[in-house]
Amino acid sequence: MKMKFIYLILFCCIICSSCEKATDYNSSPRDNFETLWRIMDENYCFFEFKDVDWDEVHERYSLLVKDTMNQYELFDLLADMLAEVKDGHTNLISSFDMSRYWAWYEDYPANFNEDIQDNYLGTDYKIAGGMKYKRLVNDQIGYVYYGSFSSGVGENNLDYMLVHFKDCKGLIFDVRDNGGGTLTYSDRIASRFLKERILTGYTQYKKGNGHTDFTDPKPVYISPSDRILWTRPVVVLTNRHSYSATNDFVNIMRLLPQVTIMGDRTGGGSGLPFSSELPNGWSIRFSACPMLDINKQHTEFGIDPDVSVSMTEEDMAKGKDTIIDSAIELLLSKADSTNTTTK
Amino acid sequence: MIGIGGYNLRDTYLSPSTDINYTGWVARVLNERMKVVSLADYKVSRQQLINIEFGTTTNGAETATEYAGFADYILGYHYRFTQVLPGLKILTGASAHLMGGFIYNTRNSNNPASGKADLDLNLSAMAIYNFKLKQLPLTLRYQAEIPFVGMLFSMHKGEPYYYLTQEGYDGVVSFSSLHNKFAMRNYITLDVPVSTFTIRVGYLNSIYRTDINKIKTHVISNSFMIGLVKEFISFGGKRMKKHTDLYQSAYY
Repeated sequence: MKMKFIYLILFCCIICSSCEKATDYNSSPRDNFETLWRIMDENYCFFEFKDVDWDEVHERYSLLVKDTMNQYELFDLLADMLAEVKDGHTNLISSFDMSRYWAWYEDYPANFNEDIQDNYLGTDYKIAGGMKYKRLVNDQIGYVYYGSFSSGVGENNLDYMLVHFKDCKGLIFDVRDNGGGTLTYSDRIASRFLKERILTGYTQYKKGNGHTDFTDPKPVYISPSDRILWTRPVVVLTNRHSYSATNDFVNIMRLLPQVTIMGDRTGGGSGLPFSSELPNGWSIRFSACPMLDINKQHTEFGIDPDVSVSMTEEDMAKGKDTIIDSAIELLLSKADSTNTTTK
Repeated sequence: MIGIGGYNLRDTYLSPSTDINYTGWVARVLNERMKVVSLADYKVSRQQLINIEFGTTTNGAETATEYAGFADYILGYHYRFTQVLPGLKILTGASAHLMGGFIYNTRNSNNPASGKADLDLNLSAMAIYNFKLKQLPLTLRYQAEIPFVGMLFSMHKGEPYYYLTQEGYDGVVSFSSLHNKFAMRNYITLDVPVSTFTIRVGYLNSIYRTDINKIKTHVISNSFMIGLVKEFISFGGKRMKKHTDLYQSAYY
């Protein structure tokens, strides 16, 4: 009797336990190709916007997949396939390489030079929350360089920085070569330049596997910070390497009346990237959730500046940054016109 | 009790459009309390379980790591059918289960973690069998629990957590039942008296599967447990005054 009872319990345990095995490592070129294609097919968000026929891409690349390919050949082939979507947020990552599409800035003038920037910042600038800042032109203009939205910016950092500029007539916020990072910091910084709550755009995500299976655009608002605000003129400096969260920051700042966007078109990157993986252990990152502007348009390919300015060879030879100089000139002229009007 | 065992995770929020499992180890701490209560003329017992577990896993290629942590609180009431057979008690009842936890993938971008929060009502059954093995009194217990209705938190497929800060929380709390969630806990213990205390050894099999908002998740663990059992006799309050013949208080 006792043994029967014990057997009964063991039987219950066995039928209730998991029979699933862990997915084994699988280096099959064919299986990994198909998995990568399917991950993109079901999750990538810009096929329709970029007019990419992903089925045709499958047909074309499927012919190139061979069972005898080594991992380097397979990686290069899959990287080429991903490059078809021309997306800076789309990467294949292995232990030996990371594929990327960076033509959105590599094919354009840099419009930024750190050595020349040093001529403005010098060595006595301050650093807070990843922002380098300094007063320029006899303390008339505040200059901030924020090189990465991955650098944590705290509310206290912003308070101290804005207090440092309290007597300045205008502010330059330089986000050139800022490849993005955390959207929270974009919202946090932008909220210091607002006078009222504004609509900044719309968000969507893919609710299904179809290329157009998106949720309805949901409006996104941003409110002014309840701490120190800056409502005097601002010039935001951009170049083609202002990407992702930086593109989002510019998308907000361009809506404000006291803000001028100056420099080159931003690099874009308006799709929030998600990650997945292949059976051989390689990681895949891809744009998954589009963020639309206030007209429900994509900014994936960048945002044009209000004032287009490029660094000239002549200025660069003199150690001058044409874009910073133009921003200073604009802010001083705005300050002068304000004084004239006041008088 | 403390336990250690195998862990098997899959979450398609973290690895969209794949069927890749992560496997590894889990460690857990389990505190269980049972008490006969006055309901139905003292034929009902109350069981409270607090479980805290943490596991580390890797994918099949061992190129990525996922960590998972869960905390559970279960409050159950069982009707006791004593002496069904000599030495055998059967307990049946229901329990409420509150669970919170996460699975975190170290290399992901805007989908780095999958948060979990569940509130369930479970069906619960337990068999407790007292027997002797060469004059050594032993107690074997088997318990199974299955949630049949509840609610849980789940992101939507492809929705980043950042959107929650933009008031994008429509539908992230869902009704759950057997159509979208299957979970089961099988718990076997053996109590062995040693000297002046009792050692409890056990095996805990836990299965948790959901298919909600187009995200499939499973968390499966098989743990071997060991701990100590203590029995307390409560003579607090008025009972203490009534039954002074039954005990000698060390304090009063």
